[in-house]
Amino acid sequence: MNSSRRQFLSAALVGLAGKTDRPVAGGFIDDGHGPGHQLRDRAQFAAAKRTVKIPIVIVGGGIAGLSAAWRLDKRGFHDFVLLEMADHAGGNARWGENEVSAYPWAAHYVPVPGKKAALVRELFEELGVLRNGVWEERYLCFSPQERLFLHGRWQEGIEPVTAATARDREDFARFAARMNEFRATGQFTIPMELGAKASPLDRISMEDWLKQERFASPYLHWYVNYACRDDYGVLAAGTSAWAGVHYFASREPDEKGPLTWPEGNGWITRRLLDKLSHHVHTGAMVQRIAHNGRKLQVSSGDTDYIADFVIFAAPSFLAPYLCDGLPPVRGLSYSPWLTANLTLDRLPAETGIETAWDNVVYDSPALGYVVATHQTLHTHIDRSVWTFYWALAQGSPADNRRLLLEKDWNYWKAAVLADLERAHPDIRQCVSRIDILRLGHAMARPAPGFLESDERHRLIAASGNLLFANSDLSGFSIFEEAQYRGVRAAERALVKLSR
Amino acid sequence: MPILLFLSVALIAACGLIYELVAGTLASYLLGDSVFQFSTVIGSYLFAMGVGSYLSRYITRGLVARFVSIELMVGLVGGFSSAALFLAFAYTQGFRLILYAVVVAIGILVGLEIPLLMRILKNRLEFRELVAHVLTFDYLGALAASLLFPILLVPKLGMVRSALLFGIVNAGVALWSTYLFRDQLGGRPLLRASCIAVLALLGAGMAASEKITQAADNNLYADEVIFSRDTRYQRIVLTKWKDDVRLFLSSHLQFSSRDEYRYHEALVHPGLAAIPGARRVLVLGGGDGLAVREILKYPDVQSITLVDLDPEMTRLFSTHPYLVMLNQHSLIDARVHVINSDAFPWLQQTSDAYDFVVVDFPDPTNYSLGKLYTTAFYRLLAKHLSAQGLAVVQSTSPLFARQSYWCIVETLKQAGLKTYPYHLYVPSFGEWGFVLAGLYPYEPPLRLPGGMRYLSTALVPQMFQFPVDMLPVDAEPNRLNDQVLVRYYEHDWREITH
Repeated sequence: MNSSRRQFLSAALVGLAGKTDRPVAGGFIDDGHGPGHQLRDRAQFAAAKRTVKIPIVIVGGGIAGLSAAWRLDKRGFHDFVLLEMADHAGGNARWGENEVSAYPWAAHYVPVPGKKAALVRELFEELGVLRNGVWEERYLCFSPQERLFLHGRWQEGIEPVTAATARDREDFARFAARMNEFRATGQFTIPMELGAKASPLDRISMEDWLKQERFASPYLHWYVNYACRDDYGVLAAGTSAWAGVHYFASREPDEKGPLTWPEGNGWITRRLLDKLSHHVHTGAMVQRIAHNGRKLQVSSGDTDYIADFVIFAAPSFLAPYLCDGLPPVRGLSYSPWLTANLTLDRLPAETGIETAWDNVVYDSPALGYVVATHQTLHTHIDRSVWTFYWALAQGSPADNRRLLLEKDWNYWKAAVLADLERAHPDIRQCVSRIDILRLGHAMARPAPGFLESDERHRLIAASGNLLFANSDLSGFSIFEEAQYRGVRAAERALVKLSR
Repeated sequence: MPILLFLSVALIAACGLIYELVAGTLASYLLGDSVFQFSTVIGSYLFAMGVGSYLSRYITRGLVARFVSIELMVGLVGGFSSAALFLAFAYTQGFRLILYAVVVAIGILVGLEIPLLMRILKNRLEFRELVAHVLTFDYLGALAASLLFPILLVPKLGMVRSALLFGIVNAGVALWSTYLFRDQLGGRPLLRASCIAVLALLGAGMAASEKITQAADNNLYADEVIFSRDTRYQRIVLTKWKDDVRLFLSSHLQFSSRDEYRYHEALVHPGLAAIPGARRVLVLGGGDGLAVREILKYPDVQSITLVDLDPEMTRLFSTHPYLVMLNQHSLIDARVHVINSDAFPWLQQTSDAYDFVVVDFPDPTNYSLGKLYTTAFYRLLAKHLSAQGLAVVQSTSPLFARQSYWCIVETLKQAGLKTYPYHLYVPSFGEWGFVLAGLYPYEPPLRLPGGMRYLSTALVPQMFQFPVDMLPVDAEPNRLNDQVLVRYYEHDWREITH
């Protein structure tokens, strides 16, 4: 026996048993930061070739802008145009599609709306999601809805129960009871504007509130942090306790949900575009909004629109870069996000419980993944698309935005796979493609004090012919708020026009 | 002369590596956890080789004769190692013990080979040359074996025959050595005779290798396996014991040929015989063609559409001689249209209406299958029933899975259908339940087709009577967004098996 022979044998056998990484295709999806930064840097644009007079221009084709358009159209007012910078409308409700499935690029569900969310119910009745008071079963999230990877195994539901102690359970029960009390006050509504009142909760962070209430369970702290990261893109320490409580106390669903589709809220965008497509111009970046007598002049590409009213549905912080004479918006803060769509041409081995719609890994910096093929009626699937969500919540948004732009696709690909590998050791054998979308200003973050922020109230009350409509007016970016703000702006414009 | 010598070094090196690979691969196949199996097999094998090398110092005289006998022993133990391990797994409880005993035995013997050979050759070559050449050929042999094993041997020959083949190589080297070293060895006819005997034994093993693997396979199932195939969707296994043929899909029993007539007569006739002049029938699931066989007993039926996910399944039941005898060639009847598709989306994209629909899916053991038992599915089903149409649903056991059974009934009701639950006894399954569902009231049939082996018109109404221990229990309806049935089912069957 000699040592080199031993080495040879071991090397040969390890090589036989081991697996090599397969190549993964993909790249960054255009996120519009190029044109956006042109605006920020006040680039010079070519002069317009034509002038169009039109009563209303909507800036931004996300849910707020589309909802404003939906309202105008439904009220029989068709004399408007919607300008969207990106090549596809949808904003945070945009979607993609490949040979395996349609998939979301951002928001992927709407909680079953309660009775107060009248506009959401109205839209869903129109789209056939709600019929005679009954929710269409195929659009409600199929079983199993959620699972959590904790202590090396998957458990049903996201609330951690594996190895929970009596104190964990006691804290969760007390937390639920406190949220019921808050719900009963009627202040935590959707849309938030209907119930919100000045509150001492807005002066502290959600983290401080938990401490103040002597909640000690690490599971509960993780869970509340997860909720804040998931809905606001920020840790509980950076979230207003009012907003943190709103997440838990605002919803009282009358049906097990949420509502979801393979392409997420892109399904709603598609339906809205079906109705409104002739008003919607994509790839139409607005370069400038200037006063023109009593009207506003909106310059986009080779066209100048002379409008009575502009509904500004893009994120409000952009307005000062476009509009002459507007002071900068300093009070609003936005969370940077990354979403990755992974195409799997085979599925990872599963032990224990089945793959759910929403799959979360405990103690991961990311938010887990949602399965695009979950809402299929097929009993057998062997390929899928997973949407991996990552709110860069740790550290400052500005640093994270820089990180998003600095690092290349390989860096993020490796980070996404490394995170998934903890729960799926064979993930690298399954993924054939990873497309990544970087969103520098994905959603408004409700920091302590947001509720009574002067800036927010100033934007809501803006009384000239520039009306703000983005969900950031509510302090947080959810479908219901975006729709509400869009519809409200449309209604105000109609009232003013009819004078 | 030296090149032939060194060639035999390469050959025995290859043999040694092959036995190690065989043991490691078999252990991974049979026990799983390939990293653990390969590590421990390699480790104990290398350690045993060290023991062998050490032991070589105690062999002082008759080196060539010893070398030849060691080669024969390696050939025998290594050659039969794979077969022995397969049989040990199938027939004994001590697979791991036998695995490591075999690995250690081969390792010790292989460890003896090279030191002995070098000592045999030490007077023929300078020491520097000797070490260089022997080790070079040792490695070359190992390389050849490590490439041959995954590329050629495993796919073409399989484990059992690969090991035997290399056993023959070992014994060949032994026989060859008796000529190569005849100057040191002398005549020794007895040694040559034992070489030939070992070669013959291994050759016989090679001839019987098919039988050996089959014997191991058969013992894993209770009965003789007559067919086994992994399809994209499931594993199809047919077993036969005396005159009883059983079909297993992913190890769930689908039917036993001894009593399947009870199941299929009860599935089809209480419904279909009650629909005068039914012409169009749909069967969802049921790729075995046995329900179709019963439906073909109605001359008025003009078309039968069978939708089954797995093309392998319908092909097997259209071609296998025994199975087409069992389903009486039903799937190749001119009135039958076979569609291989997922039933729920298929039903959604068709607008056809049917007089009778047989819903014969596997039990709702998971959320994927559970979709086929939801209010959404049954609402869709109701849209495809003709004015007088009826559907019958395979609904698991009202005795063993009582809440699951009544959950299916409740789900059909929630979908707006009138329900008529019934049950019967199928020996291989136990008490089994079906539900008839339709838009209009149902009356049991007054006539049945000829040739019934189980049903009679007098029996049908009795099937709708439930004994006390199977009476309805409260159950929520099963919905896509809240699949209670999968949980009920798991709970019900856990109660039975614990």
